[in-house]
Amino acid sequence: MTQQIISVGRDVLAKARQSAQELRDEFTRRGILVVNIMSSPGAGKTTLLQATARHWQGRRKMAVLVGDLATDRDAQRLAPLAPTIQLTTGGACHLELPLVERGLERLGELDCDFLFIENVGNLVCPASHDLSEHVRVIVLSTTEGDDKPAKYPKAFRTSQILVINKTDLLPHVPFSVEAAINDARQIQPRIRAVAVSAHRQEHIADWCNLLEEAHAELRATGQVLSQNR
Amino acid sequence: MHEQSLIRALLRQVEQIRIENGGLAVVDIQVEIGPLAGVEPLLLESAYKVVSPEFRMRETHLVVNEVPLTAECPACGTIAVEQTRIVCPQCGQTEVTITAGDEMRLVSVTLQTADERDRPA
Repeated sequence: MTQQIISVGRDVLAKARQSAQELRDEFTRRGILVVNIMSSPGAGKTTLLQATARHWQGRRKMAVLVGDLATDRDAQRLAPLAPTIQLTTGGACHLELPLVERGLERLGELDCDFLFIENVGNLVCPASHDLSEHVRVIVLSTTEGDDKPAKYPKAFRTSQILVINKTDLLPHVPFSVEAAINDARQIQPRIRAVAVSAHRQEHIADWCNLLEEAHAELRATGQVLSQNR
Repeated sequence: MHEQSLIRALLRQVEQIRIENGGLAVVDIQVEIGPLAGVEPLLLESAYKVVSPEFRMRETHLVVNEVPLTAECPACGTIAVEQTRIVCPQCGQTEVTITAGDEMRLVSVTLQTADERDRPA
């Protein structure tokens, strides 16, 4: 018996990322902006998407794939506002591309400008998985503390937009919007930031404008913001 | 806790490499992870213990090497950066590109192969 060393030197997720890139290219060709939304549980991802759908009602078309460990509660909240498919991970802590692809089959013929993928509430594992998105968004709520970005550097490093949510609670919590944005920019200097109250439907236009800009850029150039490394 | 899914992705690739190279068994697997890989080495090793029997790699040794986070600064070249402050420590440049330490890399695979003289004439 002899031994042979095979040199590889490849990211374990390279193949998955390539599949994600192929799907992203298809969405680019169709002019659909794909947005992957990550946050801790309870930061307000679903409420933000409800507010987004209300803001755009009749003007922009959106569809949603929403991931959770269990239940279809989020889909029930979103379905009256936009075509929505619930993805249940059966306990897994993040979404991966095959689950997204299965959800897309169930959504059927997509007629929309924006496809949102609401990830499982978790700021660790989802950060490693490319779901074919053009834009990665982190929702950070004011009740979580403004020191969170440095605790989850990968999620912040790989995101293009930071949404600070629950600004209506600012008088009651020790949270500085400026400190949170500064902390995030130590990790990702290009991150765009908006502060909203999704629950009160406040400043949702700022967030929607960022998405509309990204969508216009996608249609014009076939590229959007920049994929961060 | 996505270490199990990463280990499955890793072992599927290793199995493919073994088949392509006519290996009889996999002796060891060398991987590299860095601070921004989103992988905890201890959890990776316990996930490996759970998943490796599915791939009949119970005897295979997984070697996890930890590497620092490095980036490319347009002015200073390759630099080491902190994961909570990704700027060039020499010139303060913030527009740097991470070059290592943000992924789990499969470095190499050692295969057990049949010797010429082991083969029947």
